[in-house]
Parts: sequence; C-alpha cells; structure tokens
Amino acid sequence: MIPNTAPAPADETTTAAAVLPQTPGQSAAKKFAGSKLFGSPASIAGVIWLAALVAASLTAPLWLPFKTEDQDFTAVLSGPTAAHWLGTDELGRDLLSRIFASAAGTLGTSMITVIVAVGLGTLLAMLAAAAGDRAENVISRVTEIMMSLPGTVIILAVIGAVGTNIPLIMGILGVLISAGIYRVMLGQAKSLQSQLYVDAAKVDGMGMAGISLRHVLPGLTNTIVVQAALIFAVGMLIQAGLAFIGFGPPIPEPSWGGMIQGASQHVYDAPWLMVPTGAVLALTVLAANAIGNALGKAPNATASHLPSAAARRQRAKSVAAIAAAAPAPKDSAKDTLSVRNLSVGVDNGVRLVTDVSFDVEPGTVLGLVGESGCGKTMTALSLLGLLPSGVSVAEGQILWNGTNLAAATEKAMEGIRGREVALISQEPMRALDPMFTVGYQLTAAIRRLRGTGRADAKAEALGLLEKVGIVDAARILKTYPHQISGGMAQRVAIALALSGRPRLLVADEPTTALDVTVQAEILSLLRSLVKDTGMSVVMVTHDLGVVADLCDQVAVMYAGQVVENGRTDSILDNPRHPYTLALLAADPHANHAADMPERLATITGQVPQPKDWPSTCRFASRCQFAGSACTVPVPLLPSGAGDGVVRCVKADELAVVGLDWVATDIPARHVLSLSETRTVEKDHA
Amino acid sequence: MALFITKRLLMALATVLVVAVLAFLLVHAMPGSPGAVSLGAGASQEAIDEVNRRLGWSDPLLVQFFSWLGAAVQGDLGISLIDGRSVSADLASRLPVTASLAAGATLLSGILGIALGVTAAVRGGMVDRVIGGVAGMAVALPAFWIGIIFVYLLAVQSSVFPATGYVPFEDSPQDWALSLALPVITLAVGGGAFIARQTRASMLEALQQEHIRTLRATATPTWKILYVHALRYASLPIVAAIALQFIQLFGGSVIAEQLFAMPGLGQAVQNSVSTHDAPSVQGVVVIATVVVVAVNLVLELATKFLDPKLRAS
Repeated sequence: MIPNTAPAPADETTTAAAVLPQTPGQSAAKKFAGSKLFGSPASIAGVIWLAALVAASLTAPLWLPFKTEDQDFTAVLSGPTAAHWLGTDELGRDLLSRIFASAAGTLGTSMITVIVAVGLGTLLAMLAAAAGDRAENVISRVTEIMMSLPGTVIILAVIGAVGTNIPLIMGILGVLISAGIYRVMLGQAKSLQSQLYVDAAKVDGMGMAGISLRHVLPGLTNTIVVQAALIFAVGMLIQAGLAFIGFGPPIPEPSWGGMIQGASQHVYDAPWLMVPTGAVLALTVLAANAIGNALGKAPNATASHLPSAAARRQRAKSVAAIAAAAPAPKDSAKDTLSVRNLSVGVDNGVRLVTDVSFDVEPGTVLGLVGESGCGKTMTALSLLGLLPSGVSVAEGQILWNGTNLAAATEKAMEGIRGREVALISQEPMRALDPMFTVGYQLTAAIRRLRGTGRADAKAEALGLLEKVGIVDAARILKTYPHQISGGMAQRVAIALALSGRPRLLVADEPTTALDVTVQAEILSLLRSLVKDTGMSVVMVTHDLGVVADLCDQVAVMYAGQVVENGRTDSILDNPRHPYTLALLAADPHANHAADMPERLATITGQVPQPKDWPSTCRFASRCQFAGSACTVPVPLLPSGAGDGVVRCVKADELAVVGLDWVATDIPARHVLSLSETRTVEKDHA
Repeated sequence: MALFITKRLLMALATVLVVAVLAFLLVHAMPGSPGAVSLGAGASQEAIDEVNRRLGWSDPLLVQFFSWLGAAVQGDLGISLIDGRSVSADLASRLPVTASLAAGATLLSGILGIALGVTAAVRGGMVDRVIGGVAGMAVALPAFWIGIIFVYLLAVQSSVFPATGYVPFEDSPQDWALSLALPVITLAVGGGAFIARQTRASMLEALQQEHIRTLRATATPTWKILYVHALRYASLPIVAAIALQFIQLFGGSVIAEQLFAMPGLGQAVQNSVSTHDAPSVQGVVVIATVVVVAVNLVLELATKFLDPKLRAS
C-alpha cells in the first residue's frame, strides 16, 4: 500500500536533442507552464475534474440534495433514481451527497502527504547536493533504510499509538514517502549544483542556502510539480485503503474508502453500490496522474536506434514510395558509392539534409566536413539505413553495387550492413554494449557475418584485434568495455566494423572523442587499413587536419547542403566557397606558422535550425561577402578547379579578386564594403 | 564484492534495529497499559498494576527494550495480551500465508509487467497506446476495489475460485493454489501495471543507447537486439522495480488479507493495532521488516550481479 515513489524512469532523452530541432534557452520555469499542462486532452480533463471536485465539495452544503446522514428508508440500496442520482447505501443514505461531501477532506488530507513528502524530499536533496559527499552519504543511507521498510505495517503501528488522527497519519506517511522523492530529486539537484554559474555564485560569496534557493530550487520546479501530482494520487489511494480496513474517520462520517468497504458487504445483493465511489476515486487518481504525466517528460521512442515495429512499418511504406519514385540503374560500377539528390527529413516534414550528391570511388576516402548541425551524421547514417526513429530518407538515391540503399527493405539492408557497408561511431565507449565482453561482441559478429564456427571465430577475433594494433588481444577479449581505454575501445569498434570484411566504411567522427595522440594513431590505422583492404571510406569530421591527412575527396556541408565538393588538394589550396574559406581561416593548422594571423577568424552566429533554412543561399546571413545577389536560390555549379563543384553565386568573382575571410566582429555587409576597399588597395599595390 | 556484501548486511541489520526501536517506542505510546488491555474493562486497578509489574512495564525503558531484544534474538517475541498465546508461534503460522501471497503477486506482476512493458516498447504505435492506457487505469484503481469486483465476477457469478479463505499448502496444494488465486491476481493488477511502465521506459532507454546502432550495423537480428541486448541492459531498473514491488505487496497484503479473510501477517497487524495488543504489534512490525529487508538484500545483490561494472569492482 505504501507506494513506489520512483516514477521518473528514463527522464533524460538527451539523444533526441541531437536529432530533432529544439529551441534552446527554455528556462525551467517556462517548461512547466501552461503549454504542457494544457497540451494533452488527458491533463486538461484532469485539471477540470479536480477543479470541479474541489468546487463542488467546498460548496456542498449549498447544493447537495441531502445531508450526509439523511436516511431514506423508502430507498435502501437503490440504484440511480430521480431522487438519488447515484443511488443509496444500506441505510438509504444518498451516495452523491456522501461522495461529494467527503471529497474536500480526502483531497485536503492528501495534500498534507504531498507537502510533507515533496517538501522534505526536496529539502534533503538540496541539502545533500550542497553539503558535500559526506552529508550526501549519510542522507542517502538513511533514505535507503526508509525505502526498505514495510511502510504499511509501520503506518498501522503508528495508528496504534496515535489513533486515527488522519492529518497526523498522512503527515507521517509523507515522511516515509519523502525518501523516494529524495531519490528522484538528488541527481537533478546535484547536476544543478555543479553548474558553472553556481561555482561563480560561490566565488561571489553567496552562501549555501542562497545558492540552493536562487539557483537549485528553480531548476527543480518542474520535477516538484510532477512528483506532487503523483504523490497526491498515492495519498488518496492510501487514505482510502486505510479507511477500507477500518482506520478511517469515525463512523458515521463518510469517507471514500469506508464507503467502498460498506459497499463490499453488499456486493451480492447490490453490486451497483461499488460503482459510484470507486469511479470517483479512480477518476480523481487518474486526473492527478494525468497532470503529473503531462508535466513530466514521458519516455518516448523518438531517439530510438531500433524503431518500434509500428515505426518500422511506417518506414517500410516510405521506403517503398522512394523505390517507386526512381528505379536504380543496374549499370553502376562495382564498389562505387553514388549518392544522388539525397534528402533526409524529420517525420514532421522538416528537412535535415537536402539534395546531397557525391561519389566515392573504390579505395578512396571522402571527407564530409562542416560544423555541427549541418547534416553530416544524418547523411552518413542514411548510407546504412540506420537513421534514428522519426528521421528518414525523403528523396533521392544511394546507389551501391546496383542497389538503391535508400529504397532497400530492412531485410535487404540486414544483408548489406556489416558485410558491405560498416560503421564506426564517434564515441567508442558508447558504441560497445556495456553488458557483454569484447570477446562476446566480436565473436558474435564474426560468426554472423563470416559464417564461421565458434572455435574459429575466436581465433579470427584474436587476429582482427591484432590487425587493429592491439597487442594483448587475448586479455582484451575477456574484458568489458568499461575496463578499457577510449583509444582501445575505438580499436575494438574498428575491429567489429571489419568483422564482415566491408567494402565501404562509414566513419562518423571516429577520433573526435579521443586524446590528440590517440587520434593520430587511429588515423594512421585507418590509413593503413584503406591501403591493405582496398575499401573506401566516408569520413565525417569537422577537423580539416583529418581531411588533409586522409581524404582524397572533400564534400563541404553547410545547413544540410553540399556547398563545395572536389579533390582535397584543390579545395584546401584553392577554396571557392566562402564557407570553406572561413573554415580554413578559422583552423590554426591550416595557417602557416610564419604568416599566422594575430587572431584566428571566426564565423559569427550559428548554423540556423533546419526549420529556418531559407530557399536562398543558406550561408548568406553569416557570410562576409554576402550581397544582394545572394537572395536567390543557388545551384551547385562547376568551380573551375578540376571536377569540383561549388554553391555560391559569387564564387567566380571571389576567385578573381582572391579575398580572405578576415577575423572581425563587424557584421557581414560592412565587411563587404571594407574588403572591397581593401581589394582596391591591393589592385593599386 | 565481499566488502560490498558485508556493508549491505550491516545496513540490513541496522535497519532492523532502527525499526525495533521505533516499534518499541510506538508500542509504549499506545493508549492503555498492558494490564488494562489484557484484563479488559472492569478490572480493578490492583489487578492491572499486578499484571503491569509482572510484565516489567514500570522498569526503565532501556531495560525493557534490551530484555525484549534479548528474548527476540532467541525467537521469543513475548505473549499476546489478548489471548495469551506466544506471539512468535502465532506469527510463524501467519508468515507462510503472507509470504505466498506477496511472492505470488510479485511473480505474477513481474511476468505480466515485463511481457506487457516489452511488448509496448517493441511494438509501438497502437499496441503501445492501448497497453499504456490499460496500465494507467490499473494503477489508478485501488486494489481493494479491484478485489471486490473480482470476487463478484469470478467467485460469486461464476464460482471459479473460492471467494475467501486460505487453505494451507500441507492440507491440499490444489486448494492452496485456488485460495491464493484471487488475492494474487488482485494485487498483481496494480503491481503488473507499475512494472510494465518501468519495463517500457527502461526498454526505450536501452534502445536509445548507441551500442544498439552498432549491433544493427553488424547485422544483428532484430530479435537478438531486443531480447538479448536491450532487455539485458534494461534488466537492472526492472529488477529494482520488482524489489520495490515486493516491499509494497508485502505491506499491501493487509488489504488483500482483510478482503479475502486470510490469516496472514496483515490481518495480525490490523487486529493487534485495533486491540492495542502491544507485544503482537511490536513482533509483527519487526518480523515484517526482517522479511522485507532480507528479500531486498537478495534482490539488490542480484542487481549488482547483473551489472558487469559493479560485479568487477
């Protein structure tokens, strides 16, 4: 009967943020405001029901047709009639009157539990977060003890000592429940306490209490409201349960639990009696839960890496549509990847990648570069058909050995993944399953992808680990991912990717999460693997050094588009797109030590959100060279350097005058006029 | 690991001790002295005083507590003030009732909850919404209300199960199972819904982990990703939820025992609280705590064993 108060599972769906456009800068207070509460029909209904119940109950003496003790012996145990809308009990008392008259008391005493539980729980959590590890340890141990107690039995023993003093009992219940609230709140309070602005406030001399009230409590508001709603429901159920077993308000005062107890005596002769009170109690609990669930972050499947069956059916439909739109040409060259006019979109229609095309010849490395949020990763994942739930290919073709991967069924993709196209991801630690040993994961993949037996698979796993430069392979096979370093884990992930002998490797920023020295090792490993195996690589990166080091071709992406594409040397030596120019100017390694500028250039502003991408040049708002000519849609045109292409109306003009992206905070249009005068000076010189 | 187990054992012992003190104090705060409770209304003050003196009621509290504790450690929880029976013997006969009820309900909740929660997470769409809706209803309905409806439908209307009563396992295993069926199902409705919600959330969280993408990238079959890798990852919070559920159901059996007239610990608490039978209250609180803490300890160790990180350390 004492509830489980750990109702906040899987709260942090952080991965969703990476996929779906979100508005940044929402304050905690805004989050729980009206929009969420009135966002779902269930919570609107919940609010209306609770408000109506409270209003009806408080005004009960004014409108109720009967007093709670009025006995109508002409209508004992009756069903709903004109006189008694909800029927009567065994003494002929009007159910409607008794239910509504006792509502205020039930709701009010349940609020006592809410206030004590949530108040004490929050206070303890803030205290533990603020006062350091020792205090946290003590509080956590005490709350653990409280949570492992048989709460109902203890509450009953308390009743034995203090009698059926309901407000007091509901308060003590709140104390018992506060341990669960503390558990829910602690993590959040600690993360708020470790924010940089809290450190700043400490340096400013703000005290512990001040910080807790000013900076931690506001951040907890949403959780507090959610927990309050859920505990309110719990309080009502427990109170009714106590009344049901005879520890409610003294007879003949009505209580919901007591009325259900009375009804249970007549379940044989008047089953109707169970319905009204049970329904009102259940509706009230449902209402509180609905409010809590609407305000809380309900776990959803948006960022799932394995979409649900329903989502997979949905995706199969859109894949079929793409297949019907354009059949794959059968004459493609072997092991050549051709991406044609690829668009990837969120299910609500927003495009994350638009009209992307590129080719990867066998044995070559293509770099996809650009800032975060430009669609590089989405492009890369679409090559394996591994876009997260809620995101799918909207248009275009991904041609590989005569198959259009964008239109392939899930079954067909299962035959291609690992065996022909493999993946290495950004964070090696998270890419490996923490629950299984390296050896299990690697041999399972080898057995599946190479069809080898158990014993052979182990030998092949050892060989693969040695191939990726792991010296004590036999030991590593027995370890769990958390027992090895990041660089080691990335080597294991690469071995895993190689287990099916793929012809194309998709590497999504494989070195970003690693130390600089380890980065160099992994890059040199990848280079030698390309040389040895002849596979081709699509390398997602924002590091131009990696591009210069490893890539034969580069596709520069900005805001979901390829803005420049061509051979690595020609693009790095002779960039045509202002964005490429800017990226190079901002890279310390791309500037020679001799003529290193006093300050590196920056690109002001941020990549706009996908929903805000204009139909005209998407970079214009941040471009130092943007002008009136940039307000039209810009096609991808030959750049003049080899087979390179560039998406800029001013590319030719810029190539002629040879402009530099300069380090400045001055808004774009001023720079343009400024740099124009500078070029005039150059011409004079 | 050994250190961890030792620490947990000490914690468990501390928990039981704290509760023993708490129970002792609560019992002493009860209205009426043992003599008055034992002799009932109309007894003379001398007779009441005599009983109180015999029970050591006027000794210092510390002396009383330690003499109770000393006896309790040897299995003697005192004598009921109402019927003069040994509290230990009474509780020993009641424990199997509540234990089978709580264990059965936890088991059924776990099976139902995991099956429904996994199905909701894996199937998604309409199936997910229906299961979510039913689970929402199930946690909102009080167990006693559901129990009465079950009695009405399954015992009164169709007499599939006996409406009330408990048959000991030794008497007839078949009747034992039948007599447990309705109370167990009643308790498992809310418990199953709670575990289903936890399972669904944990499965969704597991499926959001990046290693799921790695598994797909190496052509792992969908069933294996779901039922080997994701479920394994989700198993930690699910087991924790089941442990919480057992604590709740062990307490929740008070209602089920009242409803189905079962002679378990819950009924003992209710009776002894109503009659101010101090030694019985004290005994039942401590015994219930010992059981809950012990089961909790076992499940916690199981959780630790499931997590490679904790197992290694």
